[in-house]
Amino acid sequence: MKLKKSQKVILSISSSVVITLLISFLFILVIGKNPFQIFGLMFSESFGTFYGFGQILFKATPLIIIACGLALCFHCSLFNIGSEGQYNAGTFVFAILLVQFSSLPFIVGFILAALLAFITGGLLGLIPGLIKVKKGVSEVITTIMLNFVVLSVINYFLLNFFAVQATVHTADIPEQFKLPAIGEFIPVFKGSSFNLTFLIALAIAGLFYFLIYKTKLGFKIRATGFNEMASGYLKLKPAKLILISFVIGAGTIALAGINFVSGYKGYYEFGFSNNLGFSSIAVTLLAKNNPIGIIFSAVLFAFLDFGGLAVNQVIPKEIVLVIEAIVILSIISVSKYIDMKF
Amino acid sequence: MEILTTIFSFVFLAQVLRLFTPYFLGATGANFSERGGVINIAIEGFMISGAFCFTFLTLQSGLSVIGILFALLINSLLALFFSFFVLKLKLNQILIGVGFNLLIAGLAKFFMMFIFKSSSNTPRIDEIPRIKLLENIPFLGNVFSDYIILLSIILIFLSHFVLYKTKFGLRLRSCGENPEAADTSGVNVHLYKFYGILVSAILSCLAGVWLASNQNSYSDGMIAGRGYIAIAAMIIGKWKPVNIFWACLLFAFFEALEISLQIIQTGIPNQLIQMLPYLITILVLVGFIGKTKPPAADGVPY
Repeated sequence: MKLKKSQKVILSISSSVVITLLISFLFILVIGKNPFQIFGLMFSESFGTFYGFGQILFKATPLIIIACGLALCFHCSLFNIGSEGQYNAGTFVFAILLVQFSSLPFIVGFILAALLAFITGGLLGLIPGLIKVKKGVSEVITTIMLNFVVLSVINYFLLNFFAVQATVHTADIPEQFKLPAIGEFIPVFKGSSFNLTFLIALAIAGLFYFLIYKTKLGFKIRATGFNEMASGYLKLKPAKLILISFVIGAGTIALAGINFVSGYKGYYEFGFSNNLGFSSIAVTLLAKNNPIGIIFSAVLFAFLDFGGLAVNQVIPKEIVLVIEAIVILSIISVSKYIDMKF
Repeated sequence: MEILTTIFSFVFLAQVLRLFTPYFLGATGANFSERGGVINIAIEGFMISGAFCFTFLTLQSGLSVIGILFALLINSLLALFFSFFVLKLKLNQILIGVGFNLLIAGLAKFFMMFIFKSSSNTPRIDEIPRIKLLENIPFLGNVFSDYIILLSIILIFLSHFVLYKTKFGLRLRSCGENPEAADTSGVNVHLYKFYGILVSAILSCLAGVWLASNQNSYSDGMIAGRGYIAIAAMIIGKWKPVNIFWACLLFAFFEALEISLQIIQTGIPNQLIQMLPYLITILVLVGFIGKTKPPAADGVPY
């Protein structure tokens, strides 16, 4: 049987979700709990209330932004494992700049800070990109190592120069840079941290969809990712495309912190990312690198994350981390299997 | 001045040798896997499972031997599972490695809560008993009487010998350099690649066991990136056992220095020393410090 590419994609996504559910059910049964009760509770607590739904969209927001940046890298066959560092660095720069910008009006200060956060992330993408292009060293190891370097550097600057006394977070950003919660416009979401950054995330997803699938640049990037050598023969300049994807991808990842800084807490806090950079890899893989698909897979992961809190009384919420990892392993294996068989 | 007197002391040397152990075990494991042509990013995860499983069954049985055997058993099963993904299904080794790290870290966090009802610490366990005979060696008796430290010191020579002087080592390396050629000359490529993965799982397991035994418990996040530092040491060591030994010693020295500097106040920021291993790795990869050359077919599914 021969399937079309889009059919294959849908088949592999749906079957890996089913497989993940089955394995999770089995796992919960084996440790002596009732999976129906647990998943029922997850659903009723999250999608059942507007507050829960708002929290899910709030948690999905940074996942969408990071996953879009990763998707661009993955399309170019760049395994950017450095999202954790890029995310942290961008957020840190964004927060400390906004504190300095207290006299600027919202639009100027916000855009300037976001731009500089983008550049910071972009530089962190440029380094492994250049090392790959110039020295032929795989980006995997360099991005992993950069994660640790970046976190140490942030930690140093935070503790020595920017942290509020006896805490590990920066000072509060000025009021004008805080984005309103959606609850202020749509009262049913009152109390939830769901905020305007979500719209930014949707815009980024739309933009990335357009960039990847509808522009010449996107086509060239995908061609390079598909076969670097062949794209070289077609005079596509793979080295340049690798750098462009890495810089735009990592720069975008750096913007995800807007949700936390402007939309939620109002400062950068060490350890705030909670490995979101790694979870986003799962989000991207499940969506098969498609930015529109990423919106849905981010909501699914955010649902797991929030649902985990809802079932914490019955089963430790850490079950969600296990489910996330099963998603990664099953989507990779299922896609490969379907590619081989159909 | 105070730093110098600290560095040139037996206490400091003992500390370096202790910190060296988990790095060297992990790095040697990673090296065996990569010599067979399989990139194993999951060293971190294998260390976590080793530490957790060891602590769990030591607590249940009261005997550290049983804890070690259980940890080795679970890690061997994980190696089998890992091999199924990368050898049988020929999936991307990096992604599977990242998946394994997340899976094992998630499982450890989950079972911590599920079994011990704590997100941070397990109850206390006793240290693995020591070799009585060697405890009386002057100054460093404490170090040499530790089974796992002793093993890792022997491993410096053993890993070189196995890789370069035995049939097994030759065949393993041939799988990492040119699997097609190895296959034609009758080597069971998948089997040897599996051996490589198994060695990496077992050695990382021992690294985890040692860490847990040394701090008398398993605590969340205790591996703290040591698996990645081990991989870094392997790269800096250019996939050669003796060089890997020096790289691990260097990293252990930095870590010991970091601990000492916390005690003696100096102007050197801690974070700078913390990031040195990673920074050096990047510099080595870029080629500032000699040329590196991984096995030719490293990471290529066969």
